[in-house]
Formats: sequence, structure tokens, C-alpha cells
Amino acid sequence: MHISFLIHNAYGIGGTIRTTFNLADALADHHDVEVVSVFRHRDEPVFAHDPRVRVRHLVDLRKDSPGYDGEDPEHRARARVFPRAEGRYAQYSALSDRRIAAHLATVEADVVVGTRPGLNVHLARQTRRGPLRVGQEHLTLDSHSAALRAALRAVYPCLDALTTTTEADARAYRGTMRLPGVRIQAVPNPVPAPVVEPADGSGKWVVAAGRLAPVKRYDLLIRAFDRVRGQRPDWRLRIYGGGKQKERLRALIDDLDLYNHVYLMGPANPIEPEWAKGSIAAVTSSLESFGMTIVEAMRCGLPVVSTDCPHGPGEIIDNGVDGRLVEVGNVEAIAGGLLELINDDALRHRMAVRALQDSARFDPARIAERYESLFSGLSRRSGPSRLARVRESLHRTRGALLSGAYAVRDAAGRDGLRKGRTA
Amino acid sequence: MTTLVPRPPQPQQPSVPPQPVPRRAEEDTAVPPRADCVADSAGGLTFDVTETGESGAALLVLRRRDDGAEVSLPLTPVSEGRLRAALPSGVALPEGRWDAYVRLADGEPQRLVPGVNDLRSLVDRMPSGSLGHVAVRIPYATKHGNLTVRSWLRAPHAEAGELHVGERVLEVRGRVYGVALGPDAYAEVSPRGGDTAPLRAEVTGDAPDFRFDVPYDELAEGVWDLWLRPAGQAGPRVRLARLLDDVADKKAIFTYPKAELRGAHGPVEAHPYYTVDNDLSVAVTARSPKGPAPKTS
Repeated sequence: MHISFLIHNAYGIGGTIRTTFNLADALADHHDVEVVSVFRHRDEPVFAHDPRVRVRHLVDLRKDSPGYDGEDPEHRARARVFPRAEGRYAQYSALSDRRIAAHLATVEADVVVGTRPGLNVHLARQTRRGPLRVGQEHLTLDSHSAALRAALRAVYPCLDALTTTTEADARAYRGTMRLPGVRIQAVPNPVPAPVVEPADGSGKWVVAAGRLAPVKRYDLLIRAFDRVRGQRPDWRLRIYGGGKQKERLRALIDDLDLYNHVYLMGPANPIEPEWAKGSIAAVTSSLESFGMTIVEAMRCGLPVVSTDCPHGPGEIIDNGVDGRLVEVGNVEAIAGGLLELINDDALRHRMAVRALQDSARFDPARIAERYESLFSGLSRRSGPSRLARVRESLHRTRGALLSGAYAVRDAAGRDGLRKGRTA
Repeated sequence: MTTLVPRPPQPQQPSVPPQPVPRRAEEDTAVPPRADCVADSAGGLTFDVTETGESGAALLVLRRRDDGAEVSLPLTPVSEGRLRAALPSGVALPEGRWDAYVRLADGEPQRLVPGVNDLRSLVDRMPSGSLGHVAVRIPYATKHGNLTVRSWLRAPHAEAGELHVGERVLEVRGRVYGVALGPDAYAEVSPRGGDTAPLRAEVTGDAPDFRFDVPYDELAEGVWDLWLRPAGQAGPRVRLARLLDDVADKKAIFTYPKAELRGAHGPVEAHPYYTVDNDLSVAVTARSPKGPAPKTS
């Protein structure tokens, strides 16, 4: 198969970019794979990738490049195809509309894969007849504004399949989006085996990693660790990552006199060697659209104590077997989960072994197989033409009619809807 | 209560065999050579460099930043496409920042960039100190993204551990290496620069662990360096430092609350901090008389 990914910017840093390269690399073992980047702002991608995966761009934003597109008047004109309610709308333009359209009208592929809602809209509306159109949702349906959901509902029926990173989000799409004829399937993100040996579980360290953002609720983790210290002052906590909450968390650590037990380590790349220094990983988020750090930690041999927040943790952790799920927002529950593993070395080691085994299902080779079977299932499928399916969806319900109206306004580029939030 | 004289370090094998790190071959000529580092608990380091394809002898060169001193280590093939150099704990590497290069045949040395640094053996390190010295080497990425090794060689050594910030005193706990802690032991709180005499603090604890209090009330504005005199006035003067872990630069990570005090010339605040060399000092600075000082440093 020839598989063509369409991505916002393959040359940047971010979860979607890393995930896309991991998947593309694994698919390249058996398929012809390219990653088409709408934008290019530097010469080489930050993430190393398999040389068999071809990477090219549509809009060149390198000022020193002979192909620099930043002076093109169309680059300053607003996009009309890329949905206005999408978080990245401001970066898209009449030029990106035209280049993406030209790419999709001529793309030599059996499958095209979109990697964010706005690009899935392009895929649905502009891909030539022939290739399978597969949209990926890397966030979640409920993270999108009503305006974006309406815009997606209007055109997603023209996709062959939509993938989500969790079953929970797939259920949300099936339950509230009414996309007839579109296969909605959960496929988790791939996480490669770490480049270091797994942790041996001997260190008395709890490790957490992520942006220091309010959604991660590291304030709860620090308060929970205050209780852990009360029982087990020999254990300590490292939190890796940077972000706006740093000063606030620092103050909390000092207020609780935890400065000998809790450390804000700053960002670390790669993170695997840092997981390997710990024996337990902690996730205290109020929301995890997937839960990449949970899988990363498990692949490094750490059992994870995580809040059972929407959407991913409960689908990754087998509670009590390879990790522990605790109530969201509950400091006592988080402390209890940590102490359960701290106080029972045998349990912790057993869970660590299972975490290593169970997280192998996220290996890129295994995730690539799931995509392969999705693609081959779709290409065998027969059914009404896409146009018929679109008509059906547009006329089925009032909701769909409403979304059709949004789509018209969106395409005309003069809707007054609020902008989508940043992804 | 004798001071151990540092002996010339003995060559010694790393206690943990370094792990080869699998990696895709994505290098091309434009990419700078990269080294993966593995540390062992004795203080040894191995460097695994991706082979560049050129034939001939290859060396890993460490060049000290301040004086250009060089230590060259042979790079030998360990697996396909991988060259390895070892810096055993017994090979002396004087204190400083050592920039890492690879030199192929007679070519110009090329600056190395860090790959994967596996430093788990350095976390919570507890060396024996039986050689009379403590050797620490921590590889890290410079702000320009290059690989440098920070080295400390202390004979003897006073490792700072937990600090407890009180309203009027700072309690310092630590452990001494390479020298006995005698009955005459005391700590010196020594003003940096100036003519003021150092303060003397009583040392207690079960050797090799020690503790002492820094009396914040008695410190004038300025920077005060902390020293241990494990054998009293006649013995060595040992700078307190925090070296025995995997963190190359402690200053930003090991931070402590500020205590607010009434100084001789107005309100001051005092807090312990680690210097750029990871030595332990106390800073006493004036604070605005209005409102509390910010909680964080």
C-alpha cells in the first residue's frame, strides 16, 4: 500500500508529530509511506525518522529558502477551506488552501491520513476519487468547540474512517456525531520500546513527567506526597517538565516544607532515562486525551498510579494488575495509591513486570498492524457512494442540517463564530 | 583522627557493564557525531559513539574549558556502527568542565552532541570514600546542545544532604567521605571576601553523618560559604557540596525557602543555595521593608 500522511508541521515538536513519525516508521516496514507537511519552517525535522519515510512540504516558511512562500499575497489571505473554528486557523491561508487542494487532487496513494480536524476537513472535501480517506482525532471530541464540531459533522461523512486514541472518544463520536458510513475506530498512539534498560525498581523515587499546566494537577500530587512523607520519609518525588505553573508549585513545595522530598526537575529530552531512575510513576491529571506518559513509563518498567480521569488512563492501566487507578481530584486517594505500592515491594515488582508486558501492545509494530487491518477492511467494503452518504447525513436530522448551514457560512469565510481553542 | 592523604587513583573496571543502545541509522554527514553515556556507581563513564564510517584510529577527547588540558580515550568498536570509550573511575579527571570531542585519524576534533545519558547509577550514590577521595563525573548538555562532562575530585569530601530551614537557623545535615569525623570537628561559616572572621558552628551527629546549625541572626549581608573542619583546626578544611547524584547543575533544582530576619541595618532575608560548582553557600540580602519577600528564589 501507498500511505500518505497529511500533517500541520512535521518539522516542529509535539505529541502528534512524534506519534505520526513513530507510526509512519513502523508502516514503512511493509508499505510505501510519505509524510506531507503543510508547513516547513526549518530544514530538517526535529524527530529522527526512518529514511524510507519520505517527508515533503506544501508551504515553505524558511526565510532563507529559494522557495520561501511567506511573501506570497495569498499567504496573507484568509483560509476558506480550513475551518475557522479550528485552533490552528490563524496559520492557514488561501495559499495553504490551494496547495493542500492541489496535493489532494493528485495524491498518488491508496490511503490518505489526516492528523488534525482541520486537515481532515480538507481530506473529506478535496481528496480525488480513489484513495481511502482516514481522519485521525489526536485530541477528543469534547475538547472541540460547538462550532468546530458542527463544521466537522458537515463534512466528516465524506471520510471512510475516523480514528480516535481511546474507545471512550470513539463512543462519543458514534453517540453524538451521527456519521453514517464512516468507520469510527479507536487506535491508541504508538510508543516505541525505550532506548534504555527498564528500571530495576530499587530506587525510592516516584517520577512524574508532563507540562506544568493546571490540567496535570501537580498541586494534588505534591499535597499527596506530603502524606506519603508522613509514612515513608525515605521516598522522594521528581516532577519533570516546564510550564507556567512552576512558581506556584515551587511555592507549594516550600509551604509544605517538602523541599528535601519533592523536586521540579525542568524539561528532559529524552525522558526514558529519567523514568528509569524511578520505581513508580504518578499521573494526577483531571483530563488525559490519551495518556502517552502512562504508556512511556510502563514501557520503562514502572507501574503507574493514575487518576481515573477521562479519557485514556482507564484504557491503558489494568487496575490492580499493572498499575493503580485512583479517584480524580482526591489527594487522599492519590496518596493511598502511592503508599500501597511503596509499602508493598512484592506488589510493586509484580506490577512492574506486568506493566512491561502489557505496554508492549502499544509497540509501533502492533499499532501499525491495527492500521493495516483497518485500511484493508475499508478497501474491501462496498456501500453507497460517498455523495449519497453525505446527502443522507445532511438530511437526516436537524442537527445535521444545522451543521450544513455552518459549513456554508464557514466556506464563505464570514461567520462570526468564536475561534476554536488552541489545540 | 588522622587525615587521609589522597592516594593516586587505581585503575578499576566499571562495576556495571555499559549497555549498548539500539538506535536507527539515520545519521548523515551533516549531523554532528553523538555519544550516548552510561555512568556506573563508582564514578566511571562509558561513551558510545555512532561510527562515522571513516577508517583509522579514533579518540574521544575531553578538553577542559578553562585551561585546554586534554584527556584522550581510545574508541574501540563494540558492535556494528558503534565505538566505545571508557573513562574508569580510577583515571583522574581534575575538577572542571570538560568538553567532549571525537577525533578521527589525524582530523580535526569534532564536538560531540549528547545522545542518551543513562545516569541511573548516580542517583542516591553512596561511595565508600575508602580511597580518600570522591570522584564525580556528570555528563550534561550545554546550553548550546553540546556534550560536556562536569568533573569533581574532592579529597576528602563533605556531602550536603537535607537542609532544614528554620526561622532563625539553617540546619545542615551531611556526610563526610575520605576522612574521619573527630571530637574536635566543627563547621565554618565563612564570609566570601572581606575581613570578617568566620563563624564557628558546633558539629554533632554519628560519624560519618554530621549536622550543624547556621545561625542566621549572626550573618551580615553578603555570601557565606560553608566549610567542615572534620578534625578541628589542625585538620583539613572541606567545602560543603552536593555532588553525589545525577544532577549536573543543582542551583535551579535544589532550592530552599527564604527566612526573613531583622538585620543590623534593616530587614534581610537569608537562604541557602548551591553555587555554579554545586558548593553550598548562604546568601543574606536586604529586602524591602514593605510587605513580605517573595516566597521563591
